Amino acid sequence: MKSISKLIRRFVGIMTLSTLLFSILNVAFFAIVFVKNTTTFSPWDMADSAAAALQFTNYGYSISGDVMTKLKEENAWAFLIDNDTRQVVWQTDNLPDNIPMQYTLSDIAELTRGYVNGYPTFTGAAQNGLLVLGYPKDKFWKHTRASWDYNFIANLPRNAILILAINTILMFLLYAAANTKLLRSIRPIAKGIQDLSGGNPVYIKENGMLSELAEKINKTSEILQKQTEQLRKKENARANWIAGVSHDIRTPLSMIMGYAGQLEHSTQLPAAERKKAAGIVKQSNRMRDLINDLNLASRLEYDMQPLTMKQENAISILRQMVVDFINMDIDDKFPIEWKTVDTLSACYINADKDLLKRAISNLIQNSINHNENGCVIYVSVDDDNNTCKICIEDSGIGASDEQIDKLNNTPHYMVCDTNTAEQRHGLGLLIVKQIIKGHNGKIVIDHSEYGGLKVVLIIPK
Amino acid sequence: MNEDYLLNKRILLVDDEQELLDMVLSILTEFGFQTVKTAKNVKEAIEQAETSRPELAILDIMLLDGNGFDLMKQLKKGSDYPILFLTARGEDDDKFKGFGLGADDYIIKPFLPKELLFRIMAILRRSYKDENPLVYLHDSQIDFSRAEVIKNNEHIPLTAKEFDILSALYRNAGRIVTIDALCEAAWGNNPFGYENSLMAHIRRIREKIERNPSQPVSLVTVKGLGYKLITEGK
Repeated sequence: MKSISKLIRRFVGIMTLSTLLFSILNVAFFAIVFVKNTTTFSPWDMADSAAAALQFTNYGYSISGDVMTKLKEENAWAFLIDNDTRQVVWQTDNLPDNIPMQYTLSDIAELTRGYVNGYPTFTGAAQNGLLVLGYPKDKFWKHTRASWDYNFIANLPRNAILILAINTILMFLLYAAANTKLLRSIRPIAKGIQDLSGGNPVYIKENGMLSELAEKINKTSEILQKQTEQLRKKENARANWIAGVSHDIRTPLSMIMGYAGQLEHSTQLPAAERKKAAGIVKQSNRMRDLINDLNLASRLEYDMQPLTMKQENAISILRQMVVDFINMDIDDKFPIEWKTVDTLSACYINADKDLLKRAISNLIQNSINHNENGCVIYVSVDDDNNTCKICIEDSGIGASDEQIDKLNNTPHYMVCDTNTAEQRHGLGLLIVKQIIKGHNGKIVIDHSEYGGLKVVLIIPK
Repeated sequence: MNEDYLLNKRILLVDDEQELLDMVLSILTEFGFQTVKTAKNVKEAIEQAETSRPELAILDIMLLDGNGFDLMKQLKKGSDYPILFLTARGEDDDKFKGFGLGADDYIIKPFLPKELLFRIMAILRRSYKDENPLVYLHDSQIDFSRAEVIKNNEHIPLTAKEFDILSALYRNAGRIVTIDALCEAAWGNNPFGYENSLMAHIRRIREKIERNPSQPVSLVTVKGLGYKLITEGK
């Protein structure tokens, strides 16, 4: 909406500027024309100069050649009316035939003000008489009765300014009225576009001067909503499909794990056969983890797993996870060391306890899965001003710089639309990344000072 | 402590898959449970419950003629005994629904026999106290029914907090119990800030159960994490 008032301000600005510019240009134009016409060619001046150039000698009247040439160039003619007789006593050769030779006082007044037989005439005082200068009929138009009220002329500057001001105000009022109407029809359109960008459904009434635009926006909104709905449906279908498959696989896998688990501990079987059963149990376990991970990863990816955030003590959560793993690890191949400083007994964060547990469990499980020959796992929590740093590292085989870079930066194939053939990290780490993202946190994978891999989860308090 | 008496508890097992019923039945009987009855649907389960009066029910959630949640409500109407859900439905909302209605635990398929047995034994241990609940430690015995420790033929009473802490440790005997879980057992849902009190209580418990409290053998510390109660014969 801000952009509309900005637009209107700009319109008004442009209008004011253009009006000013046009006014200045017009004034300048008229001034130039006026000056040009008055200074270079004034018939009154010509009459005066012709009168001055007329000389009375013993041989009669004569006029200088220069003036005569000028008169001829203009197709003008002249004659002199004698002061006493009011008769024409001198004339140029080209005087038209229908010009009278005798004048009364009223004739003289008439020709001074206007015309003689339709020829525009101008007068100049000469020696002993009045010089009359005449031009062809279509050369000049004369204002024969020019006179103005004195007050009109006296108040002209004030009135001109007043009229200009009234004009300007009227112009602005008209402009404002026109624009308000436009603005009124633009406002719902602008709001519609704003709502569109927010992903909301939009309906604008299709009337007024911008009805076509409103119709297009309504159509766009409809298309967008349809697309969003289709995408949501597709994502739901995908997540449901994964959930369905993982559900259907659970019961048969239970049977495999159940019987294999029994055989693994059967005293009636030779050790070699029990070992084979143990192999089945181990692989079944992997399948179970995979199903669980796949299900959770897809739910997290498609926002079907709402996060229930609460204030939780990260230390308490970590401690429970570590203890659960220690209690599970019967043959002691993966001892876990608690490296949190004794003085730190609480570090509260806003977290979904179950999901955070899952993330930590995945990381500890990763250390176990990737170090078949066993390793020590080190777990610590650090209170770092506004964040809680959870660190899980191991003394295992670790990873190369290149691998670590990939772990940090390459997306998992499940959330990536390119090259799925390439070997990527497991689902376990994807879930950790998704969960930490849900907590607005960061995950950093690096070498551990204990020789293996180090994963740091940085979660804001 | 002898837990054989738990194997005499009657168990009702309900699942619509015959093969799964057979497998779980074989796991339970092989472990030593004497009386395990099975049912394939809600109707059969209710009939079985009336005739065999189970002391633990293991229910699938999705059954052909109803669901496990409704079945649990009906079973609990008759008499109150622990319920363990065994299901392929892994979504969290089901879990909470189950616990909200009074389920005692929840196992998601697939599971290993030892996981199932561990959960069953834990529920039974919680629900059915031994008639002779004497717990044998290296240097003493605990009599939970009298809330006292017997050391060198001397009967030493336990305070309420010591009893709570020892009970929590005993329920998880041989396993580490976190500081937080012990504080919660003794002081309830908001256990933060009681760590020093817990240490004091642990010291007093050791004075009662250990021959040499400064070098404990039955109630051992796992640094930074928690404590572990080691019973004899476990």
